Amino acid sequence: MSFDITKMRNIGISAHIDSGKTTLTERILFYCKRIHAIHEVRGKDGVGATMDSMELERERGITIASAATNVTWKDHPINIIDTPGHVDFTIEVERALRVLDGAVLVLCSVGGVQSQSITVDRQMKRYNVPRVAFINKCDRTGANPYKVKDQLVEKLGHNAVLMQIPIGLEDKLEGVVDLVRMKAVYFRGPSGEELVEEEIPEALKAEAAEKREEMLDAVSMFSDELMEAMMEENVTEELVHDAIKKGTLSLELTPVYMGSAYKNVGVQSLLDAVIAYLPNPLQIENKALDVDNDEAEIVIQPGDEQPTIALAFKLEDGQYGQLTYIRIYQGCIKKGDELYNIRSRKKFKVGRLIKMHSDHMEDITEAHSGEIAALFGIDCASGDTFTGNGANWSMTSMFVPEPVISLAVTPVDKKAADNMGKAINRFTKEDPTFQTYVDPESNQTIIKGMGELHLEVYIERMKREYNAEVETGAPQVAYRETISQRADFNYTHKKQTGGSGQFGRVAGFIEPLEEGEYEFVNEIKGGAIPTEYIPAVDKGFQMSLKKGSLIGHPVVGVKVTINDGQSHAVDSSDMAFQTAAIGAFRDTYAKAKPIIMEPIMKVNVEGPNEFQGNIFASINQRRGMIVSSAEEGMFCQVEAEVPLSEMFGYSTNLRSLTQGKAEFTMEFQKYGKVPQSISEELIKEYEEKRKKEAGK
Amino acid sequence: MVKKELISRSPLRIFEKSIHGGVGKGKIGVIASKKGVGKTACLTHIAVDKLLRDRHVIHVSFAGSVDHIISWYDDIFKEIAKKRELEDAPKVQEDLIKNRVIMNFSQAGTSVEQVIGSLKAMIDEGHFPANSIIFDGYNFEEGSPESLKKLAAFAEEMGLEIWFSASLKGETPKFNDNGVPVDLERYLDVIDVLVDLRYEGAFVHLEVVKDHGDVESRDMKLRLDPKSLLIAE
Repeated sequence: MSFDITKMRNIGISAHIDSGKTTLTERILFYCKRIHAIHEVRGKDGVGATMDSMELERERGITIASAATNVTWKDHPINIIDTPGHVDFTIEVERALRVLDGAVLVLCSVGGVQSQSITVDRQMKRYNVPRVAFINKCDRTGANPYKVKDQLVEKLGHNAVLMQIPIGLEDKLEGVVDLVRMKAVYFRGPSGEELVEEEIPEALKAEAAEKREEMLDAVSMFSDELMEAMMEENVTEELVHDAIKKGTLSLELTPVYMGSAYKNVGVQSLLDAVIAYLPNPLQIENKALDVDNDEAEIVIQPGDEQPTIALAFKLEDGQYGQLTYIRIYQGCIKKGDELYNIRSRKKFKVGRLIKMHSDHMEDITEAHSGEIAALFGIDCASGDTFTGNGANWSMTSMFVPEPVISLAVTPVDKKAADNMGKAINRFTKEDPTFQTYVDPESNQTIIKGMGELHLEVYIERMKREYNAEVETGAPQVAYRETISQRADFNYTHKKQTGGSGQFGRVAGFIEPLEEGEYEFVNEIKGGAIPTEYIPAVDKGFQMSLKKGSLIGHPVVGVKVTINDGQSHAVDSSDMAFQTAAIGAFRDTYAKAKPIIMEPIMKVNVEGPNEFQGNIFASINQRRGMIVSSAEEGMFCQVEAEVPLSEMFGYSTNLRSLTQGKAEFTMEFQKYGKVPQSISEELIKEYEEKRKKEAGK
Repeated sequence: MVKKELISRSPLRIFEKSIHGGVGKGKIGVIASKKGVGKTACLTHIAVDKLLRDRHVIHVSFAGSVDHIISWYDDIFKEIAKKRELEDAPKVQEDLIKNRVIMNFSQAGTSVEQVIGSLKAMIDEGHFPANSIIFDGYNFEEGSPESLKKLAAFAEEMGLEIWFSASLKGETPKFNDNGVPVDLERYLDVIDVLVDLRYEGAFVHLEVVKDHGDVESRDMKLRLDPKSLLIAE
């Protein structure tokens, strides 16, 4: 089969936790004949679903890592990236969306659009990803696909249009009615692998006709020919398909499918929709940045003959070395090719080129434009761009959220310490939002992440995969310090007691910076400080900002202006001026009325109306500010801003206040000033800690 | 200009003077006009003025998205800040937001009891000390004076005032001899303050139709600036 890029589909499956996404993916693999038996996700028959490579995932029933796999459906190669649903794993979803062309949004037919679906949808919008929706679990009690479709419209603002109606629901789910072909579709065979089309059951004919009209009305907005054909009453399937495709690609239409992956209903129809309506790589415009040309945007031209541009979007450290997943945007890559990593500025040769299927690898000799493949044993980082002709083009930097919570981890013994090091090494390479450092004062290893669950999972993995048991300290919030007013400085660093000395004087002022973290302005006139030492002054200030004297946290939002100084012919040096700058900052910081800032999270809580009061109260108790509440039917959704430091244990708290019926998501919003009383407490704690350390 | 001056020089002081100082606790005020004249802008400006004076406002909406409403507030505040060259505008705006909560309902399915229940939960359990409630987008055609009475009783109980926007039907809505829109006649007893917005030439004029006890049309000598959408002299 010669490679035809127009047949290729790169898709992601994004959804809320527990919407049955992993089961769905497993079914897709099965129907595409990649695996030979279907295993239930939670290991009911002893074997876990193929996509969940890790035991941990199987136990918790959640998917953690994003695995890429490719399948073929009706002559179309499809790359599927399975992405995790929980907000703490946002970076995984973001990365997947960055490299994909289309997505399937999976929703539960009972739960409908929930907080996580909203976060995921926001991510999809950020990257302009066309999608189709799949309402899963229609076999569950309380399944109501119509309501879910309405929620897509009301809560996510989609122009969601049903492409099918169910034949039976809950335990009576039998199949679906395809509104385009106006046929009933049943999924027969032991695993639903045989698609059978029959006449629409009498009882459903009226409803089908009605819903088809609705569908045609919505879809004809994208095609004048279809609209005409509707008036002339000679609508063809082709016209409808074209219109749906146009609508979906323009992001103004979301075709909605339904079924139950678990009960083997509807999956093949979804696959048909994927190949019919989601874009091929040629239909998505991607841009790269010309680093040599002030980051001017270049539109990518997919095509094997073009110069190669590929993005490394996922790293995995396996037993044999590092596996780097890449998306080829332009050109093609052959085994033995030479590629250039524009970040590390190093050339490397392509050794093994692989196509991934969850846990097994297939060696290939070439990968084409639009494909997703993997390289073996290449030293690189997630987010690196590779080019084939040495051009300095970078795929736009991926959005990486800053970690907001950190935790001290102490290995229980020496062996655990070694293993922990290996584990952290691997995790940090794979996930830029998981970071680590050693606290110079306590000598403890600190890990940083996006939320409690994020860190919890890594700690579990350390234990299971690396045999590294650790004790954890209390989670620490990433505070920041900043100044609130201008203060002058005039500092002399002098050490001239015989022999070569050090001398440098810096004068100027620091003031709050509205936008941005740091700015350095040189207003020295007449060489009061020789030009060659200015960078050292800048460096000195930057070093000082790493740790503020209030609570030892990074200082941000500072503008430094130097306008005077003094140097000595012999004793001045880079070091002297750097030290002078550090001294100047230390002396003047208190005068600038520094304040402490804390991360404020945007918290979204969703629960039944009857618990509204409890939800409001729970936010209020945590120094939260309610921004809005939206009521719809039985549920209310509350949006609030709550300091991260108050969010620990909220999950348990919310569960008990709402009989487990409410849930929440949170993401970083901004930094806000800490109230006076808390500020005083933090400062006191820090001072006590310092005294203890000094006393040691 | 600093915040204090901003408040004292706001055209809303004239607005309030024209209606005996304001709507008042336990009372209902309505801004009426046909579609697209500027009711939401007016209400938002009224709300922003209250927020600037450290009053707490609950903005209740029956349509559209919360983001849409937030944009309104942002825009109106920006215009005010620009017009008066407000000092330290970002900080003022931050404080403003703390005093405001938006509550969104889909009126079709929501009873007035449900709305009152939720408002109460926000005020009591949410510890939000509301002084004013803005009801934007309430459908007076489908609603009833009984519902408004219930809301008035609630307002009385909680010691707060309520402002409504009322959309009048048609291109040229009808008014009776006293200047009361025909669409709102049946509500007149429950409404304490009624202000009409009407186009006169290029500008939108504000006219008091009912001012607590008095029912007579009176020009407030205020208009809605079409560019900034602010109430101006």
